[in-house]
Amino acid sequence: MGVVLRNLQKVVPLRRARLRRDVDTLRHILGVQKFDLGVVCVDNRRMQQINNTYRKKDAPTDVLSFPFHEDLRPGKLPCPLHRDELNLGDIFLGVEFLMKQCQEDNLDLHSTLTVVTAHGICHLLGYRHETEEEWTEMFQRESYILGEYNRLTGKHLEPLTKRCSQDS
Amino acid sequence: MLKSLSRAVGAAVRISTITTSTTSRALPLTSPALCAPSSAAVRPFTRSLWMMNNSGASSGYRPKLFSCKTLGPAVSCGCGSLHTEGDKAFGDFLSDEIKEERKIQKSKTLPKMSGGWELEMNGAEVKLVRSVSGEKISVTFNVNNSIPPSFEEEAEQGQQQQKGEEEQDIVSTPNFVVEVTKQEAAKHSLVFDCHFPEDEVSHGEGEEESDIFSIREVSFQPEGDSDWKETSYTLNTDSLDWALYDHLMDFLADRGVDNTFADELMQLSTAVEHQEYIKFLEDLGSFVKCK
Repeated sequence: MGVVLRNLQKVVPLRRARLRRDVDTLRHILGVQKFDLGVVCVDNRRMQQINNTYRKKDAPTDVLSFPFHEDLRPGKLPCPLHRDELNLGDIFLGVEFLMKQCQEDNLDLHSTLTVVTAHGICHLLGYRHETEEEWTEMFQRESYILGEYNRLTGKHLEPLTKRCSQDS
Repeated sequence: MLKSLSRAVGAAVRISTITTSTTSRALPLTSPALCAPSSAAVRPFTRSLWMMNNSGASSGYRPKLFSCKTLGPAVSCGCGSLHTEGDKAFGDFLSDEIKEERKIQKSKTLPKMSGGWELEMNGAEVKLVRSVSGEKISVTFNVNNSIPPSFEEEAEQGQQQQKGEEEQDIVSTPNFVVEVTKQEAAKHSLVFDCHFPEDEVSHGEGEEESDIFSIREVSFQPEGDSDWKETSYTLNTDSLDWALYDHLMDFLADRGVDNTFADELMQLSTAVEHQEYIKFLEDLGSFVKCK
């Protein structure tokens, strides 16, 4: 089925075609094209609600990942038995939160969405950043993904883990 | 844990083709619009009453269900029409209802649409028009049958009533048609049939997973022609390449039809629907009272 893209907010104008193209490029780099993936763009209110419900943190954030396959070993792709299991899960992008960050740091929103989505997909594939070892492993994977992305598109994107290691 | 969006969508696509045709036109129980006998369940009943009263019935038996004697004494006002005690009670009821509705009417004036849209009203039909660099964009919608039915389960009604007797706001979510006309190709307009997915508007604070609005069909139609030309090829978005769908959504957003617009349209439609409802009640009151 591919990427299911949903824009549930009206605060930030989004280019859906660009976001889909960027997410498809990331899936291609990771070799997970055959897996379905949900990408949901939400505002601060909705992000805070989800963050509070699932992480008991009553504040908006940049990205939340909900893996379909839990407890994956980082770097190992899921081995689905049925068509229904060809699914990585859902990524919620806090686009209002991210836009504010972009305005403060003078960054391009859609480039930032790519960086944050790469971070989210890593979480769906079992990567974490709770210990230093996990952090290094995740940082290396994100660096690889964005390095390939930069090579394919001529951009200069850097991993999210480097800037912000305590959240999401 | 959230249920997987992409799995849910797969299931929803199969269901949507069935449910949209049956539920979108059904009148809601909580709708302020007076229930016209439009549903299939009502028709046989009204028809059987008509048959009982039909003077041409072959059996010759006429129970005189509608004769004046059974409805109470007629009151005359000199207009030549029938007036009954029932009509008087009906008129009084309508006066009270109109007062109540005026009380909850947020504003006498309609909310403004941002983005320089001009508003044209024709009864229940509303048209919004704007021009952008040689292109004309018009959006048309009709407030009739635009309030989705309430999805509250009967089992939950007890709970709902305990929540401080709060009445859920009635929101009008009409299908709307966007027509984009380019000056140099004025013979045909590109026409988008858009709608508000039902799960987004009816469940309130849930984990809604639909876009605020979506495109259902796209086709070329003769410019300014109100009749839908069935011979034009119509692109249905149910089985569309999603990348193409996203480009169509971006195309609309560039012309001012985005989530903000859809949200404002919902507010405008709700206000127009309420205004038309009050007007209808007033007309009904005048008709019944023969004023």
